[in-house]
Amino acid sequence: MTRALVAIRGVTQRFGPDGAAVTALESIDLEIPDGQFVAVVGPSGCGKSTLLSLVAGLRMPSSGAVLCDGEPMTAPMPRKVGMIFQEANLLPWLSAVDNVAFPLKLRRVAKAERLAAAARMLQLTGLAGFEDRLPHQLSGGMKQRVAIARGLVQNPAVLLMDEPFASLDEQTRMVLGDELLRIWSETRKTVLFVTHSLNEAVYLADRVVVLSARPGRVVDDVAVDLPRPRSFAMTGSERFGLLKDRIWQHIKSAERR
Amino acid sequence: MSEGRGLVGWPARHVRLCQALLYAAILTGWEILPRTGLVPRLFVPPLSEALGALFTDRREYLGSLPTTFFEILASYAIVCGGGILLGQLVGSSARARRILLPVLRSAYAVPLVVLYPVMMVWFGLGSPSKIAFASIYAFIPTMLTAVAGVAALSPALAETARAFGATRAQQIVYIALPASLPSMVAALRLGGALVIVGVIVAQMLGAAEGLGFLITRHRTLLNSPGVYAGIVLVLLITGLHEILLRRLERRVAAYREGA
Repeated sequence: MTRALVAIRGVTQRFGPDGAAVTALESIDLEIPDGQFVAVVGPSGCGKSTLLSLVAGLRMPSSGAVLCDGEPMTAPMPRKVGMIFQEANLLPWLSAVDNVAFPLKLRRVAKAERLAAAARMLQLTGLAGFEDRLPHQLSGGMKQRVAIARGLVQNPAVLLMDEPFASLDEQTRMVLGDELLRIWSETRKTVLFVTHSLNEAVYLADRVVVLSARPGRVVDDVAVDLPRPRSFAMTGSERFGLLKDRIWQHIKSAERR
Repeated sequence: MSEGRGLVGWPARHVRLCQALLYAAILTGWEILPRTGLVPRLFVPPLSEALGALFTDRREYLGSLPTTFFEILASYAIVCGGGILLGQLVGSSARARRILLPVLRSAYAVPLVVLYPVMMVWFGLGSPSKIAFASIYAFIPTMLTAVAGVAALSPALAETARAFGATRAQQIVYIALPASLPSMVAALRLGGALVIVGVIVAQMLGAAEGLGFLITRHRTLLNSPGVYAGIVLVLLITGLHEILLRRLERRVAAYREGA
């Protein structure tokens, strides 16, 4: 087995004035090997997104540590970790290509270089020809493609995705899911993908981590042994159903409590 | 995006036609009602008489404009420069908002016209007292508009920029400033309109020159066409300001959030 690229060690996150009011995550331990596609699911409010923001370095855990490539994440490290949010969060006054180039602009990469890199990423995400469109001239799915291109533009080893398709319609989600798998197979990133869709989790991931209701703990860690490349037909297979059912049992009991 | 059609599916040109008719009706009423005697001529002289007075005394009216414009532009610079800058600063800090907003709102409730005699004592009869009054009069509402605009910015874009490694300064330059541009133009629009009111009112209350001074002088002489000639000029100034600011608003529309 390859080495752990992302290591989450004994992470606990508490919120509140004295840090004791609400425990969002408790004693999370996860090792994610290089190149693995991991989905994180759990009942609503279980701290899935909090976990992602810890790995992104957007906040520090109350205790424990997150290591990326052996280095503790104490601040955002955009060259190692690319982030994609639920909403595309594009800057409305910048064209698609400028939005994708924005992380490079923050690092003062020369203009020609960053625009070339951004154009390549738009090509990769299937948006060649839309470089000069402003966000409001793009559909929801296209905006999220721009956001994915922006997450990839610094060639980070890790891609964090926080329910990236949650605000899209069913068809667009399915198309973008397949697109994501294509991009992943071409770039071989390590992906941490938070979702509330069990279908999406099993269909996309190598491994599904199931969190319990608050405080979030890892209650199951399911290896998805479906062959790749995945196809839509697999979603009707018995194996797919069994995996989904196993995860659903955890969520159902957690939501009932 | 849906400007081409109105709410009920009416073509935009029908809406514009109705608006043009409305303006025409107001102007026609202004001309005809005083002539029929329904409105006493001393209160409202016919439009043509006001325009006639404006033409006859054009030297005097045009001569009042340089002073008036100077006072408006000077106050404009103070209000929009200072008010928007302070609004940005206060708006971007939750603590500053909590401390200052209640104070500013109660200050806003004070009828500041009562301060004008004080301004006259401090700054005399000339332009400085007009500029001081108009600036104070317009400052707080302009600043409050700017504060509200900055405070309403969603934190999502700043958070995104932070995830991509933006420093605090980069978050301000690349996110906060451009994202708040539309509300800054809104503050400019309000501030400018109030500055014009402030200068004209100050000139009416006590001055030796300027458009407001002319209006007051004609009023004391019971020369209604002269008063309305001045009012027509004031309307032209505010109308011009409105047109310019609307253009500016359209230009910064792309900076609006939610795209």
